[in-house]
Amino acid sequence: MLITGIKSRPVYDELTPMASGLNHLAAAQGSGGKPLVRLLQAMTPDQLAATDVLYSTESFTGQNYLAELQQFKVRNLAVFTTNADAVRGLDASLADAKMGTRLYLSGSEGFIGTSMQVATSYGMNRDEVLREQAGSSARRVWCAHCGHYSENVTHRVFTCPGCELNLIVRDHYSGRLAAFQGVKADGEVPGEMPDNEELDT
Amino acid sequence: MSESQHGALKLRVKSIEAVTPEINRYTFCPADDSWLPPFSGGSHLTVLIPSEEGTKRNAYSLMSSPYDTSQYQIAVRRVDDGKGGSLAMHNNVREGDVLLAGIPANLFPVSKHARHHVFIAGGVGITPVFAQVEELSLKGSPFELHLAVRGPDHAALGCELKERFGDQVTLYGHDGQSRLNTMEILAGRPLGTHAYICGPTRMIDDVVTSAHSLGWSDANIHFERFEDLGSTGDPFSVTLARSGAVIEVSPEQSLLEAVEEAGHKLPYLCRGGACGECETEVLELDGTIDHRDDWLSESDRATCKLIMPCVSRATCTKLVINA
Repeated sequence: MLITGIKSRPVYDELTPMASGLNHLAAAQGSGGKPLVRLLQAMTPDQLAATDVLYSTESFTGQNYLAELQQFKVRNLAVFTTNADAVRGLDASLADAKMGTRLYLSGSEGFIGTSMQVATSYGMNRDEVLREQAGSSARRVWCAHCGHYSENVTHRVFTCPGCELNLIVRDHYSGRLAAFQGVKADGEVPGEMPDNEELDT
Repeated sequence: MSESQHGALKLRVKSIEAVTPEINRYTFCPADDSWLPPFSGGSHLTVLIPSEEGTKRNAYSLMSSPYDTSQYQIAVRRVDDGKGGSLAMHNNVREGDVLLAGIPANLFPVSKHARHHVFIAGGVGITPVFAQVEELSLKGSPFELHLAVRGPDHAALGCELKERFGDQVTLYGHDGQSRLNTMEILAGRPLGTHAYICGPTRMIDDVVTSAHSLGWSDANIHFERFEDLGSTGDPFSVTLARSGAVIEVSPEQSLLEAVEEAGHKLPYLCRGGACGECETEVLELDGTIDHRDDWLSESDRATCKLIMPCVSRATCTKLVINA
């Protein structure tokens, strides 16, 4: 319970068109292109014409779905080379968006989480957003000791680049910080390190 | 805090003011000159109103500033063919009288995460909005109010708000011409807009339908029905399992009122089928329950294992509840 089995661990959705929306905004990164292609295939021509797509080609696993995404007749497709730029693009789009807009996010947990931070800042609620995790299960981790954010953490134990403590990654997820919590790994008994397993899902 | 008696506040009627031909505004202060519990915008007060047919418990929205603990204000619209509570307020209550009331409760709070607040109200539905916009105004949160009234004689409360908040307030019907158009009000709103509706059922339905057609999700639509939905219908009897008491519910009273009249107590808060406080287990039923609340889920209704005594009734030969 201290490390795993924690209820804040995000549960993701499956991207499917939300028919109640009048406008649709879909943002994806790397492997997240695959659920996005499936989403666009499920849309009616009218829904596609009311859809703006943002895609970042930055990928931890090297997957790129840009060519497939270009086949759809959406209102606009914006391509970014980094996830951070895509999240900034999402911010700009949401600033002008109106009530009735539906948001679809897919990609790594870090990308979904930081995108959700932006969506939340515009007052979007969970009824208006679908999220599907795709590709790597690498985590974004926040160090409880120095506040450093580490992207793409793949193992249960790692050394924080901020304070160089050995951290254990808990399943405790903060939606506000869009990150999992990392705490000193041998805090109870100094020198006694837990198993360094590969992070699961 | 004002002296309480069985969890009730003792309030002295400080002033009564007729604000429209049908609506009186009552200002209460604590009977012992201490202070009143603070509340949040959208809260209501359950007032115990003495009347010829026993004590009526009517819930009224608080319209004074939530930050003023020296007084409470409510507005009461006289309903001539209602259950008698508002008539007793208008005909019997005088300045200087002392009334009992519950502690304020809020089933209609403003959203803490909204980027913009749009209030749509009709007639006496304006009362909770008074306290809500006062709260938002002090917090510096953006809001606007659209208020429909029946004519110039009914516009006094709206004019007060217009004077205080200027362009943030739009009145309709006060000139006998302008009409409130919900589609125009709701269209093209930025993300994170929340709408609050307080008015007749027709107005609530109209706004909800418009908002849905514009793609709003239910989480951004808030409403409170101020119309007394009431609980009138065919008489029935109920058995309280713990005491064995058998209580007759007459056509004009709710199950909750009948139980209280017989000297028993049930938990309650809103007395309007919204809050869930009075949810009671049904132990035996020979007949059907007429569910009239907004609380129970469809599946709960279907199983008839739960009842909301404040509004729901039964058509039955036997009803035993766990109370």
